[in-house]
Amino acid sequence: MKIEEFDIVIAGAGLSGLRAALELSDKYNVAVVSKVHPVRSHSGAAQGGINASLGNTEEGKEDSPEKHAYDTVKGSDYLADQDAVMYMCEEAPKIVIELESMGAPFSRLESGLIAQRPFGGAGFPRTCYAGDRTGHTLLHTMYEQCVHKNVQFFDEYFLIDLIKVDEQITGIIALNIGSGEIVTFRSGYIILATGGFGRTYRRSTNAIINTGDGVAAAFRAGIPMQDCEFVQFHPTTLYGTNILITEGARGEGGLLYNNNGERFMEDIAPKAKELAPRDIVARAIDTEVKEGRGFEEAYVHLDLTHLGADRIKERLPGIREISIQFAGVDPIEEPIPVQPGQHYSMGGVGTKYEGDFGETELLGLYAIGENACISVHGANRLGGNSLLETAVFGRYIGRLLLEKGLPNSPAITDLEQAEKDAFNEIEDLLKKWDSNNGKKPVEIRDAMGFILDSKVGVFRTEAELNEAYNLLCELQKEFENVYFPSKDKKFNFGLVRTFELRNMLDIAEVTAYAALWRKESRGAHSRIDFPERNDNEFLVHSMITRNDEGLNLETKPVKLGIFEVMERVY
Amino acid sequence: MSDVYNFLIYRKKSNETESRYEKFEIPYRKGMTILEALFYIQDHLDSSLAFRYSCRGAICGSCGLTVNKVPQLACRTQVSSVKTAKKPVKLPEFNFGDHIGWNEDDEILIEPLPNMEVIQDLIVDMEPFWKFYKEVEPYFTREWKDTAPESHQSSEAAKSIETLVYCILCGLCWLCPVNAEKKYYLGPSALAKGYRFIADNRLSEEHRQEIKQIVWDEDGVPACEQFFVCNRVCPKGVKPGTAIKQIRDKWSTDE
Repeated sequence: MKIEEFDIVIAGAGLSGLRAALELSDKYNVAVVSKVHPVRSHSGAAQGGINASLGNTEEGKEDSPEKHAYDTVKGSDYLADQDAVMYMCEEAPKIVIELESMGAPFSRLESGLIAQRPFGGAGFPRTCYAGDRTGHTLLHTMYEQCVHKNVQFFDEYFLIDLIKVDEQITGIIALNIGSGEIVTFRSGYIILATGGFGRTYRRSTNAIINTGDGVAAAFRAGIPMQDCEFVQFHPTTLYGTNILITEGARGEGGLLYNNNGERFMEDIAPKAKELAPRDIVARAIDTEVKEGRGFEEAYVHLDLTHLGADRIKERLPGIREISIQFAGVDPIEEPIPVQPGQHYSMGGVGTKYEGDFGETELLGLYAIGENACISVHGANRLGGNSLLETAVFGRYIGRLLLEKGLPNSPAITDLEQAEKDAFNEIEDLLKKWDSNNGKKPVEIRDAMGFILDSKVGVFRTEAELNEAYNLLCELQKEFENVYFPSKDKKFNFGLVRTFELRNMLDIAEVTAYAALWRKESRGAHSRIDFPERNDNEFLVHSMITRNDEGLNLETKPVKLGIFEVMERVY
Repeated sequence: MSDVYNFLIYRKKSNETESRYEKFEIPYRKGMTILEALFYIQDHLDSSLAFRYSCRGAICGSCGLTVNKVPQLACRTQVSSVKTAKKPVKLPEFNFGDHIGWNEDDEILIEPLPNMEVIQDLIVDMEPFWKFYKEVEPYFTREWKDTAPESHQSSEAAKSIETLVYCILCGLCWLCPVNAEKKYYLGPSALAKGYRFIADNRLSEEHRQEIKQIVWDEDGVPACEQFFVCNRVCPKGVKPGTAIKQIRDKWSTDE
């Protein structure tokens, strides 16, 4: 068994992982372990932008971190932890200026300042952008700085499980995808930054690699999954492939039409219209389609044609490219066919109520970025806040660990025993998969995606959620007997995807379970049988662990006290 | 439109020197991309087929390979249009090993990216690619700061580097015949990356000069023979060949 030793190991090389690494690599021996090369990470797919109350435009002059925080808390349907939101929004202008100083090629105003566009749920034009490829440019900029600062990467290493002694983290066990070797990374600090887990759904904007590896590994180590019932469905994903069509398209003036040529958002959100928050627009589109006012019973039209060729080419070139290449539609000429699809995971690794942002119950284990539930998005994330979260909390966690210094290690014999146990467990699992005689992973994966798409979607009911949960438990049993030939482990991506399926089944099961428990409608969680928000019973985070009897749900209070909890109207 | 597509796929084990070609029949689904077809094989026919992937939306740069002798992104290429798609003109020819009996009318031929060492199946060794990327020192060296105001840049200056910034580092441009001949050629993407920084008016003059020196090394700009095949296969319109030409033109007038 190969062992690598570091002061700090960061699992995941998207924006949050890279930003943490930049902060820590000067002082500590840091390894960034990622299943793909850093620039292949899903942060790069973010299109629209990053929010900060810079007030660079005329309309944005009166903006402030407090107003940004208010919009975020309201957008979250009051489930976000207000202290974390306030921190993020105060840091936002600083982090955007820092990104610029790293070389990020933001689009500019005539004044030469960073350009800002309107986004859903925001009171001011607050979203800084680089064309419609903001995530791509930020990810590359951050990686460039990592190259400059000699950050140490282990590319194409897949995180399998965490290793702990008592309630202290001591490392991770990973698969070197290229060599097929199982490797232990020994470290007293582990930062999970493995991104979202949208691939539990079939209709998702997420990269194929977004399988929640960090969340599931932490769950198996006893750390709860928090708020997994809150799944953001992006209202406008391209019909067919579900590739993201940025909210920026509506920010630039794009309009939504049903098959009667009606702008249905005018009735649903008379003030915000197309720029109402994502959950509201997604439900509106779903309703139009279900009630027969969609096209081909599947989608509505996002019309940009009135913007004119110049503006589309200048502001939304990536959207035009995607529409032409993946749907054969040129948005200069005709509307884009769009439908809601899974987009963002508000939930994730459960964090402590009393503790630092991103701190877990396991000593030395932290989580940041989309795989964490800190929670700055609550029940619904606003567009432009996810890139922001990654950079803000990446920097935060770096500074925090610098301040804390390195933890004491448990006794070496205990540590080695834990590593040996973890290694043996993986070896046994591989042998089992190889000798099983059950289904192929693909059958279980497809079934899981179908169950979540159809029964844990935009609108939910008790009956469907019950059915989904039972079916997912059945799939868990089938996975026990999954057959996968695992003897040759070199570049065996089929094997990687079997490990990923193991992770996603846990997350899917928890998602259905939590959705079943939450008998109210809040943010992205919309129960037809409980259409109202119920603050008396459910203004709390769900925290789910697994014990011998099955799943176990506890609740965690929401950090309130800065903004009054009110009705959410747009 | 046929219901089944025949694929002929390059195969090689990492511990073997010999490669071979293997046939697969893929049931067609409307809108199916080459990447989806490869996943169909991995999921249903041969779980060991190795290829890289991530975003499936032409933004991450993972899935570059050669389809019917044209380097392209697997995720962005429709199975149904491989035969009818207009081929970029004057592409060099690649030979990945002993041939194979490819029935061009009936089979879609999938091979790895050219001019990179094959490790396994469609997986190539990208290490030299990343090494040359790093060699051009593609980064800002100024101190970070986080206090307002941000450094200014005119809208025109920001736009002038926009297409260069869109490079996804997929490696398709290594089809260049110079890459085939010269092992130490920095390659189109690294040189274009160098120009992305040279052309950014926010970069310090000192670092600009450093990058200029690196890209003007004999394995850099002077090695480019201006075939411009890189421009023709680039999936993002970065036009690396044009960027290299711009370095050349700019440098000549500077001297």
